[in-house]
Amino acid sequence: MVFENPLLLGAVGAGLAVGIAGLGSGIGAGIAGASGAGVIAEDPSKFGTAIVFQALPQTQGLYGFLVAILILFVFKTAPEWAMLGAGVATGLAGLSAIGQGIASSAGLGAVAEDDGIFGKAMVFSVLPETQAIYGLLVAILLLVGVFSGEGVATIAALGAGLAVGFAGLSGIGQGITAAGAIGATARNSDAMGKGLVLAVMPETFAIFGLLIAILIMLGIMF
Amino acid sequence: MNKLRAVILDEKMDSVIRELHEKGMVELYDLTPKLEDPEWRALVSHSTPAEYGRDVSALLIKTNRFLDLFDNVKLEDNKGGLKDILNPTLPEKKKVSFKSAEEVISYGKSILEKVEDEAMEYFNRLNELESKKNNLQQLKKYVEYLLDFDIDLKYVRDGPYTYIVVGLVPEDKLSNLKKEISNITEDYFEIIEGKPLTTEDGERKIPVIIVTLKEYIDQVGAELRKWGFEKFDLSNLEGTPKENLDKINREISNCESEINTILSKLNDISKKWYSELLSLHELLEIEKERAESYIYCGKTERTYLLEAWVPKKHANKVKEDIEKASDGYSFVEIDDPDEPEEKIPVMLDNPKSVKPFEMLTEMFAPPKYNEVDPTLLIVPGFLMFYGIMLTDAIYGLLLALTGLLLRKKLGKVSEGAYNLGYILTLAGIATVIAGILTGGYLGDFLKQFLGFDIYNTYYAVVNPLGDSLFIGESNPLFNFGNISVNNGPIAILLFSIVVGIIHLFIGLSLGFKENLEKKGFKEAFLNQGIWLFLILAIVVGLAIGMPSIIGIAVGIVMLLCMAKGYMSGGILDAGLGAMDITGFLGNVLSYARLLALCLATSGLAMAVNIMAKLLGDSVPVIGVVLAIIMLLLGHTFNFVMNGLGAFIHSLRLHYVEFFGQFYEGGGKKFNPFRAKREYTDVGN
Repeated sequence: MVFENPLLLGAVGAGLAVGIAGLGSGIGAGIAGASGAGVIAEDPSKFGTAIVFQALPQTQGLYGFLVAILILFVFKTAPEWAMLGAGVATGLAGLSAIGQGIASSAGLGAVAEDDGIFGKAMVFSVLPETQAIYGLLVAILLLVGVFSGEGVATIAALGAGLAVGFAGLSGIGQGITAAGAIGATARNSDAMGKGLVLAVMPETFAIFGLLIAILIMLGIMF
Repeated sequence: MNKLRAVILDEKMDSVIRELHEKGMVELYDLTPKLEDPEWRALVSHSTPAEYGRDVSALLIKTNRFLDLFDNVKLEDNKGGLKDILNPTLPEKKKVSFKSAEEVISYGKSILEKVEDEAMEYFNRLNELESKKNNLQQLKKYVEYLLDFDIDLKYVRDGPYTYIVVGLVPEDKLSNLKKEISNITEDYFEIIEGKPLTTEDGERKIPVIIVTLKEYIDQVGAELRKWGFEKFDLSNLEGTPKENLDKINREISNCESEINTILSKLNDISKKWYSELLSLHELLEIEKERAESYIYCGKTERTYLLEAWVPKKHANKVKEDIEKASDGYSFVEIDDPDEPEEKIPVMLDNPKSVKPFEMLTEMFAPPKYNEVDPTLLIVPGFLMFYGIMLTDAIYGLLLALTGLLLRKKLGKVSEGAYNLGYILTLAGIATVIAGILTGGYLGDFLKQFLGFDIYNTYYAVVNPLGDSLFIGESNPLFNFGNISVNNGPIAILLFSIVVGIIHLFIGLSLGFKENLEKKGFKEAFLNQGIWLFLILAIVVGLAIGMPSIIGIAVGIVMLLCMAKGYMSGGILDAGLGAMDITGFLGNVLSYARLLALCLATSGLAMAVNIMAKLLGDSVPVIGVVLAIIMLLLGHTFNFVMNGLGAFIHSLRLHYVEFFGQFYEGGGKKFNPFRAKREYTDVGN
């Protein structure tokens, strides 16, 4: 125990979760919003579309908020390091919203030209969310006490959070690829399949991060 | 698909084209490139659009002009509002029975003549009045600038020896202008200045009257242009600016009232003719398409040669139709496709209950010719994933209702809306089922506000945020090594991964079968077989409790991947091949999003409930109202966000993970030659 009350470290985790994820979502929604404003200037009837695309990078902030609430009100009895790790995981992975914002802004641009591409642009724009979801997943696994060894109860939990969190930054790269792939698909709709393959490549590193996080939580090496 | 070839006597050609267009079961094949071939050219020449096409186009232009004119004069209250967008009324269909293009043309002519007789004089008068009103408004602006000058405007025009102009000069350039003019005219000039003012564009200007001798007219004119002088045209005006202003205002209001009477008259005329014009427009468009379809065909002296794609099941019906329409003066032949596969159009043919889901397949790419149509396979997975990810009975109910409304209202006019509505309705039902299983009714609303903890009863199977009676700390589902499946999240995670592996297994099996038929065993084994082997090894290893089997299988698979890489690109690719296993692992772990999104819905719903409860308990008097607002806004937001998320993530799992195993797509969609009728009905 670092502090008398384990929830103190949990509060730090909650702050990191909502803070860093909010930072990512803010930047992402800002990028998408700027593109949205440009589109609306051209065609005011696209307002609804702009809102939908701008909503995508905001989910990371919601995940951060969700985990903060879970730490503070629901899983109060989880190990203190697990709470901190959960916050770090969700917060850092939430930075993938920056990439999602880039992809959404490209998607919005494509839809402004051609309504028919809405679904495809949406699928590409949602790709960089995977990293945030992995972050959320590890946070939940840490909090609900699925694993109970040293991997969760000690400072090792922070390592798990860092692994999936920082690996989640691959979402930024994925967003950039997805933005390019949206452009390619807008020009030639046959590029969708291959574009998806390229766009999911950067996810490999998020999976590495998730794997290491799970290995740490399993704690077989301690 | 079959290829249909027909030779038709020229007299009968038009009735054949009309029949095919009305039935809409074939896609015309463009013979133009084929006719470039010298051998073909010796027998068949290019065909030109039918004669009547030109008349039809001319009438179409006229119809469009009237429609535009009527659109412009429509009064505001006649235009549909938001309600009309959400629940469009179907246009009444006009029954028509025209046997030939000529009949349509003469009908169109008579309609347009009538409309022209009734409406044209009003439109002309309206034009005149509007340009008059514009002129008056311009004049009014000038006069307003000159209000300071108390002079009769009839004197402000050229005399026998004097040159007089009135206008605006930018404030900062006036002194320069004065200097230049005085140089040119040797001081034989006068400038009367008014009060500086700000124009509509926000520039500071001064109204001036410039008087000088006629001999300087050219030089002074050039100077004025140089300094940005804006000249007023005030000819025909008499009296002071103030008197003129009153007069102009009167004239403008006269104009306006006349415009309004004409507008209301035109509105009455529009009511009478607008729908007629719309259906005429449609009839003409259809005739135009028919006339233009001739260019796809080849022509000999007395016959036309026509080729078309026709779905196999319609082939014989179409053949009969052609023979009947041509009274037997035709020869029809039905063949297998004679083109490379990528040129053959593809028609998705699913039962009616699955058809709307074709939208999802087509969003990725229609299948290639002879490739498996994945639509039927998407349905169960898509609905199940959607249900798991949204997991709330109330949200599901809302979604099903939204889907129903969309289908019934917007779906009347838009096929896309109908399909989406259909999919959402089914997804909503799946969500209700998932919600009941996980005990989600607006998250934990029951527990927060009614004190009823559903997870202590037998009404909910699993709790996404903790324990339930079935799966909990005291009652674990089962233990596996040192991992105990003793709470909701881990049970759902396990379920997600298992579902993911099954889903991948189905995709891989399909891919294996496809590859086996088309490319042989080696390709099939290296691309899909090894992963099937790995999945089987995992299942067997877990079933008989020997994890070492899995380890060995992973080793074999890595070696095989390296061998595959080595075969395709040498030693470097072999190294990359060893990494394939992470790709497979990634595919499996990707299904963990089922848990994450499921949890996000119920977690956020809970957060909304907690906040609403806090508001209700801590704020006196209006707390209840605040709590209700919080609940409404929060749950709407959560419903929309997660509803959208569930849709796209469910789609992603299919496009990336599932399709990646077997489906390429990229076929050409069957695009039938069919008359599009919204406002008319041929009635059978």
